[in-house]
Amino acid sequence: MGKIEQTKKYDNGTAYLMLSPIVILLTSFVAVPFVYAIYISFYNWGFYQDSVFVGWRNFYLVLTDQLFWHSIVVGLKFALYVIPLQMLLSFLFAHVIRAMGRRSSGIVKTSIYIPTVISGIIASIIFGFIYHYDGGIANYLIGLIGIEKIAWLNDVSTALPSLAVPAIWLGFGISALIMLAGLLDIPDSYYEAADMEGANAFQKMIYITIPLMKNVILFLLVTGFAGALQQLELPMIMTGGGPVNATLTPNLHIFNHFRNDVEMGYTIAAALLMFVVLGSIAAFIFRILNSDKAIDG
Amino acid sequence: MVRGNAVGKAIVYSIGFLVSIVSIFPLVWLAIAGFKGKTEVVATPFRFFPEKWLISNYITILSDEAFSRSLLITFIGAVIFTVFTLLINSMAAYVFARLEFRFKRILWVYVIMTMFIPSMAILVTSFIVVSKMNLLDTIAVLILPGLASAAHMFFMRQFYLNIPVSLEEAAMIDGADRFKIYLYIFLPLSYPVFVIVGIAAFLGYWNSFIWPTMTITSPELYQIMQYLATFRSERGSEMGLLMAGSTLSAIPTIVLFLFFQKHIMKGIKISGLK
Repeated sequence: MGKIEQTKKYDNGTAYLMLSPIVILLTSFVAVPFVYAIYISFYNWGFYQDSVFVGWRNFYLVLTDQLFWHSIVVGLKFALYVIPLQMLLSFLFAHVIRAMGRRSSGIVKTSIYIPTVISGIIASIIFGFIYHYDGGIANYLIGLIGIEKIAWLNDVSTALPSLAVPAIWLGFGISALIMLAGLLDIPDSYYEAADMEGANAFQKMIYITIPLMKNVILFLLVTGFAGALQQLELPMIMTGGGPVNATLTPNLHIFNHFRNDVEMGYTIAAALLMFVVLGSIAAFIFRILNSDKAIDG
Repeated sequence: MVRGNAVGKAIVYSIGFLVSIVSIFPLVWLAIAGFKGKTEVVATPFRFFPEKWLISNYITILSDEAFSRSLLITFIGAVIFTVFTLLINSMAAYVFARLEFRFKRILWVYVIMTMFIPSMAILVTSFIVVSKMNLLDTIAVLILPGLASAAHMFFMRQFYLNIPVSLEEAAMIDGADRFKIYLYIFLPLSYPVFVIVGIAAFLGYWNSFIWPTMTITSPELYQIMQYLATFRSERGSEMGLLMAGSTLSAIPTIVLFLFFQKHIMKGIKISGLK
């Protein structure tokens, strides 16, 4: 009897049947590759050779490889160019959109969102020409104010910041609109109360807007950071990692190894280490912001 | 006071429209550059408009069989990918939102955990898996690996949790089973969430570059971004053509966005705030 009751309440059959596609696909294309990656990171493995157990050697190779650390630094620098600027601009611009009338804010929202649907490849093509030494817009514009031409993508000091511009362009729309959604979520009454107390605009931002948008800002910070650190397409197409590895992001470094190496141990170990590094940094950011949050209750 | 307001408004509106213009400028420039001659794209001194408007780039690139085939193949792949993404993930979302079954918690944790594995970490081994399955250089290798997505499933489940249970109870009294309830009640109600997930899936497929580059070697199966990147490195001197081709490849995604704009804007509101 108990059994009948249970089958009435539990829909095991239907549930398993309907879950089987997602479980099978995730197992074959995510879980198995992940476990397999951990396994063969301890082997000297190649497409055309027998594998030999090498213990931690692959990890040792990666961790003692200066180029790997260099690429991590490049990735962090890139995030440092992209994230603060993108956060600040989108935070300020969300206020601008909010202050506009319904109709015009609609037009503005649409036009800043459009770049978000553009691929990194097309952005690379466009900005490759924008930075062209002779006929590019960038040099034309600085020429108007009397600055000498710059070899944007071929100069060690300007190459990485130059890549940050298309990255910001691609992500600005979505982050501004998420910021706007966060702003609109704050009840007007808070600001009205602050007005009565005689708070100025700056105080309102520090004491009301920013604390109440902490979750939105955190979300954008973590996703933006992970995205920036994993940048691959822009440097791959626009600079190929050059000049002198100035734009060699971690993922580009790993991808180059995938394409060029016979042995895959290094590539897999580096990719797994990146995964650990990324995860710890994200956890670290969460930690800082959370402890901050605990203070103001 | 009123005057101060008017000045403030003027400033707000000018900043607003200025930023919008800067934002779409690169795309407008791209489309216009598509009308330029072979090397006029980077003419010195810089010129925004072409000296002579040439429609020929757009015609030439469209009538180039390799380009139009790649556009078509990518489009077909993206549509298939989108349809199956919606189906597979919404079934799982429905099951996790509504059904009780043994090992539910374990399966839930298992599926959600996959969300935290970055694709780069499993790049090489995914490649090994698909090559062992003999999928390399087929359309299946582009579609299958990305279909199941814990993130999409999670998003749809949140939506399903808000559908009132009373709707199902009525159907159950009429004798509908769980699958029929999914088919006739949940699927039709899924439109708003399907638009958001569907567009994300379509864009992901359309714009993907690294995976096709790794797994597709026959030019007949080149995906559109792969085609553009190859064109750029091999025929980079034909800039007008490259710009026309890039413009055409961006159009489907822009049209899709403009068409479903309202839903996407609503979706953004949810995504940042959990």
